[in-house]
Amino acid sequence: MIEYLKVPKDRIGVIIGTHGSTKAQIEEKGEVMLDIDSVEGTVSIESDSLSILNATEVINAIARGFSPEKAFRIFEDEQITLDIIDLSKVTDTPKELKRIMGRIIGKEGRTREALENLTGANVSIYGKTVSTIGYVDQIQTVRKAIEMLAEGSKHAAVYSFLERKRQELKRSQMDYLE
Amino acid sequence: MAERKWGMAHIFASFNNTIITITDLSGAETIAKSSGGMVVKQDRNESSPYAAMQLATSAAEQALDKGVMGVHVRVRAPGGNGQRSPGPGAQAAIRALSRAGLKIGRIEDVTPVPHDGTRSPGGRRGRRI
Repeated sequence: MIEYLKVPKDRIGVIIGTHGSTKAQIEEKGEVMLDIDSVEGTVSIESDSLSILNATEVINAIARGFSPEKAFRIFEDEQITLDIIDLSKVTDTPKELKRIMGRIIGKEGRTREALENLTGANVSIYGKTVSTIGYVDQIQTVRKAIEMLAEGSKHAAVYSFLERKRQELKRSQMDYLE
Repeated sequence: MAERKWGMAHIFASFNNTIITITDLSGAETIAKSSGGMVVKQDRNESSPYAAMQLATSAAEQALDKGVMGVHVRVRAPGGNGQRSPGPGAQAAIRALSRAGLKIGRIEDVTPVPHDGTRSPGGRRGRRI
């Protein structure tokens, strides 16, 4: 089975890596064959359908601004997935989009860092998208927090929301597996 | 278990639930089905990957009993005006199916996408996310 992916051109280089090192790693860890067209910006993945599933996520993660090391977390743990939030539908004007991006990133990246530290997920902001790598409950928390930021909540409110969620997650991990 | 045949696994994965229906290749005959509410107690866990794993395993067992050897997978998100990417249960379900002993054939995304249908919810200023 072959799957085709479209990737932003400036991320193609990251997927290949120096002398193809990242590409080789993806092929090894994901048990896939990659064919990268750097002119068109397309990646074709060849393997059995199950391996393709994982490799697609990893390549999408790298395409959405993550470093290969962070993207490889998807290979390492089955429960970890990638979530992409498209912000272009939230606003009509590019100017407002930029403002919301700024709110999510925060001054010198402080808000983004807080999102990562308080949930344990990895967050990347690239182009018009905000992407998260982590466990499902982490992703849902990040989603909610970004929604709050986009709607105009104060940063302090979002931080206290994250703090509250962190306590909840700790507790819910106990009764989750019953 | 006389003949070993292929089936179809239709996986509907939203943010609130995961539903698996295993049918024959035509899609008209249901062989096995399972959903989030059948395996967890709390409503909010219905869409969790853990629930998806359990329900996929139980559906796969039923299917294997009835002589299905492998399945082609059709993954579906709510689609339409809703979200287009499958929820957290989809991946886990597919993996659990293969682990339960079913062969996985082709995986296809069958999320319904409107060819310009009804107006999306949220009003003129859009829903913030």
